[in-house]
Amino acid sequence: MTWLVPGGGHFYLGNLRTAAIGFVVIQGLYLLGVILSGGMFLEILPPEMRGRFAAALTPEAGNLGALIVHVKAYGFGERVPRPFPAGIHLGVILTASAGILNLLLASRAHFEARAQARATIEGAAPNPGIAVLAGWLLPGAGHFMQGRKARAVAAFLCVASLFALGTFLAEGSNLDRTRHFYYWAGQTFLGPTAFLAEMVHGHPLMTKTAAYADGGVVLASIAGMLNVMLMLDVYGYSDARLFGEPVASEADATGESTSAAEMQPTGDLQPAGEEAQ
Amino acid sequence: MNDLALHVFLFLFSTAIIVAVSCMFAEAEDARALKLFPKRYFTFVVISAAVAAVMLVAEHTLASVS
Repeated sequence: MTWLVPGGGHFYLGNLRTAAIGFVVIQGLYLLGVILSGGMFLEILPPEMRGRFAAALTPEAGNLGALIVHVKAYGFGERVPRPFPAGIHLGVILTASAGILNLLLASRAHFEARAQARATIEGAAPNPGIAVLAGWLLPGAGHFMQGRKARAVAAFLCVASLFALGTFLAEGSNLDRTRHFYYWAGQTFLGPTAFLAEMVHGHPLMTKTAAYADGGVVLASIAGMLNVMLMLDVYGYSDARLFGEPVASEADATGESTSAAEMQPTGDLQPAGEEAQ
Repeated sequence: MNDLALHVFLFLFSTAIIVAVSCMFAEAEDARALKLFPKRYFTFVVISAAVAAVMLVAEHTLASVS
């Protein structure tokens, strides 16, 4: 439900406040993005890539209802190419962010539905949806909230260094959706880290071909995808701790799995009862 | 800079990060995740080297235009 309408899942669960805030914030971001970009984000694609499912591989697909309306209203634009508006870059950042934020809201609704069904929360950990949001806003921040500080630093260094290396090799050409439509989409999972880099770098004209542009673009995109794995790790850890279930471990296969309750995080964790709402 | 050396460095660096994140994903406990890393990294590099060797052999025998 959240996938189609932001806040729909929370509305169904009876959490009207979160539903209303989620709907207004996410759809507001999307609408503002459409206004700034003139609804032209699919016109970035060259004609040969304008297939039926071209929009399905974009971060905007995380806000499916809005994307469907957007595609129906604007599609791939007119037959004749037209210049992009001045706000295209900020606009597509906002529409992409709205899609990803809606996925995070859906993950929070998923947890809260399970929490309601169980009625009791056994452990203490940040709400998985909030922790994952932190991990998107700043890679490693979700782990930090969970008290896993060493892992938080390692996570940040891993994805930030890979993104920085990719950007260096591509000479900043990766920081532009109008150049690398789908690779840019991968980077959006780094959240404001990538957006800030894009804004600082700007969108200068490339006067020469970067020698390692292809490799750089790929590495930067991989950094974003790796942050998805880190966010899944954050979600799974909080979820397991709150429900008192075994945390992810390859030792499961050998019968040596570690119960979440047995692990000793170093940080102060909030009581579960406050976060479950 | 030597192009081959640069590519090998980029490969080793990027795969180290990919394997490190996969270890974090697979193991919630830091010590166990760290313990997983060397074997996984070694396996990843060796298999990648084998694939690269097969591709080079195929290129030189089946696809060579020289």
